[in-house]
Amino acid sequence: MEWSIHAADASDIRARLSPEEIRHSESDSKLTPALALVARLIEEYFGQLEFSRCAYGTEFCENLIPKPAAVQAVLWAAAEYGLPLTFLTPYVSDEGIEALKPVFDLLNRSAVDGGMECEVVFNDWGVLSLLRREFPDLIPVQGRLLNKSLRDPRITGVYPETSTSLGPQTALVNLRRSNLDSSSYIGFISSMGVRKIELDSLPQGIDLSQIDERVAVGVYLPFGFTATSRSCLAAGLHYPKRDKFQPGAPCHHECQTHLVEYTYTNSPFENRDQKFYLKGNTYFFAHSEAMLRSLFEQARQGRLRRLIFQRRLPMWE
Amino acid sequence: MKILTPIKAYDELEMLAENGAEEFYCGITPREWLERYTGAFWLNRRSPKGGGLESFAELRQVVDGAHARGIPVFITLNAPHYTTEQMSYVMRLARTLDEEIGVDALIVADINLLIQLSEAKLRAQIHISSLAAALNVEAVRFLLNFGPSRIVLPRSVTIPEIETIVTAVRDEVEIEVFMLNDGCAFEEGFCSTTHHHSVGAFCTSLSGMEAEFEGNRGQSLTFRQTVRLKRNLTHYREYVWYLNGNGCGATAKGLPYGPCGLCAIPDFYRIGVASLKIVGRESGALKKLASLKMVHDIVTRTREGVPKLHVIERSRALRQTPEHCDAGFMCYYKV
Repeated sequence: MEWSIHAADASDIRARLSPEEIRHSESDSKLTPALALVARLIEEYFGQLEFSRCAYGTEFCENLIPKPAAVQAVLWAAAEYGLPLTFLTPYVSDEGIEALKPVFDLLNRSAVDGGMECEVVFNDWGVLSLLRREFPDLIPVQGRLLNKSLRDPRITGVYPETSTSLGPQTALVNLRRSNLDSSSYIGFISSMGVRKIELDSLPQGIDLSQIDERVAVGVYLPFGFTATSRSCLAAGLHYPKRDKFQPGAPCHHECQTHLVEYTYTNSPFENRDQKFYLKGNTYFFAHSEAMLRSLFEQARQGRLRRLIFQRRLPMWE
Repeated sequence: MKILTPIKAYDELEMLAENGAEEFYCGITPREWLERYTGAFWLNRRSPKGGGLESFAELRQVVDGAHARGIPVFITLNAPHYTTEQMSYVMRLARTLDEEIGVDALIVADINLLIQLSEAKLRAQIHISSLAAALNVEAVRFLLNFGPSRIVLPRSVTIPEIETIVTAVRDEVEIEVFMLNDGCAFEEGFCSTTHHHSVGAFCTSLSGMEAEFEGNRGQSLTFRQTVRLKRNLTHYREYVWYLNGNGCGATAKGLPYGPCGLCAIPDFYRIGVASLKIVGRESGALKKLASLKMVHDIVTRTREGVPKLHVIERSRALRQTPEHCDAGFMCYYKV
């Protein structure tokens, strides 16, 4: 099993992180408890993190797709550490497809000329289609947005305790899986050249044992996503009210100035301390201790190939 | 360009057919699914309680009755995904719907189900749901691999984007767009939450949560920044209120509030959009009727060649709530 670091920029790339460095990540203070928790458990299970791969890019917002110059800087920095690159891409409009093409061209040349393998995580079937047709030397990886498992900590984290009242065990078993247990689906994406997939750990627990062995699994931590939108709360910040929250509206990266922490104080269950974090157009939740332990135990059992560590909410320019 | 209307009971059929429905869509959750998965795992995108037909017998009545009027019936099998255990059941259901009930199309989102159906060669056509998140031409072309006759574009696709897509695939597949009711704050294909009755929609749930702002990387926000952010959040909560039908409200004349695309109909007619979707299988008959009459009024005028500006004026006049039209938050599309 390998570790990958999702870097915000070239200066964020490093070969290793100690639990102490994780605890004191240059991050938003509201995320400190989540980072402290994951640091403690990483220390318990792994000692420290030794990275053999670097990830860069954005999964959630086409306005945050990095320019080729920034990607080049990351490629150079990653090469200095001997880390191959995984480039993350979001769901996109036609405009976003055009923004990705020069980046893919750069990565493709780097892969062909430099001999460094480069993965591209796609969260949009149109991006996969583009990769296969025009950039066949880039290795496609199915992103976590294309895995449609329920991730709703308002309720799915409560299921294991109250499953007799909220749903029978069959429901819970299926909520811990996805279509990745289907040989026909895996056969299909394999025929598309996809041999790796990325997932979120799930509040209700995730059963990695059922995933077809023809694909290698990577899981993000310590943040999972819940919902994302083309109607961004942050991008409307400076607009007249009636022009706000429009899909595809001009964005000035207003999301980079702040985050919003929500507390589920109106829960009908006991989880009234459940937090959600909004950064830009996407809502995230932090992994609980139970989720992290389950994930690390499954990693020890060899059920996943890669863990992708994100020191901050993955919404940076 | 057809008007696609939701239906959840045979009793609604004659009323909707007589008032302009040109296509129907519906859902059904068989008892055995409900017993096995309860409300934890929906068979389609509406709650099994109240969002669909009650029985196969009634569905057969709806299909036969609609066909007698020359109206096709589509049925939703559009859960974001099904596990292997569920897929065998869903395929048996699809065959039943096709061979025994005679539905005209299956509305599908799960890529794995699309794979299975494209191989099964059922008589019923395949419509790809908005949950497949076809946001660009490349994605639409990818989905054509599964042989659909129609693709439903997500709510977030703008009029210029719709025009680009329709122009690119005009001769290969029909394009359907959202027209009325039931907005979504998120990109539906990438929303991993549930509308389970115990917690409700995530977007409205957020409006009731405590929210705190923090500057990036732990930096303090200025007073002015905080004020602006809080004001923006208030605006956003108002936007969500509009998305949910102005709090599930209606005008004094019974016209439903909620996201509205009436003013965009002339553009959709010009572009060549195949179908306009009225949302709300679970809504009452009167709401369905009122929604349909509004859309039919505007579509009729558009087909008759009424100029776009006059159609827009008529749309606003129909609603008689200019303050909500002017708010900017009730529009599915910016015209």
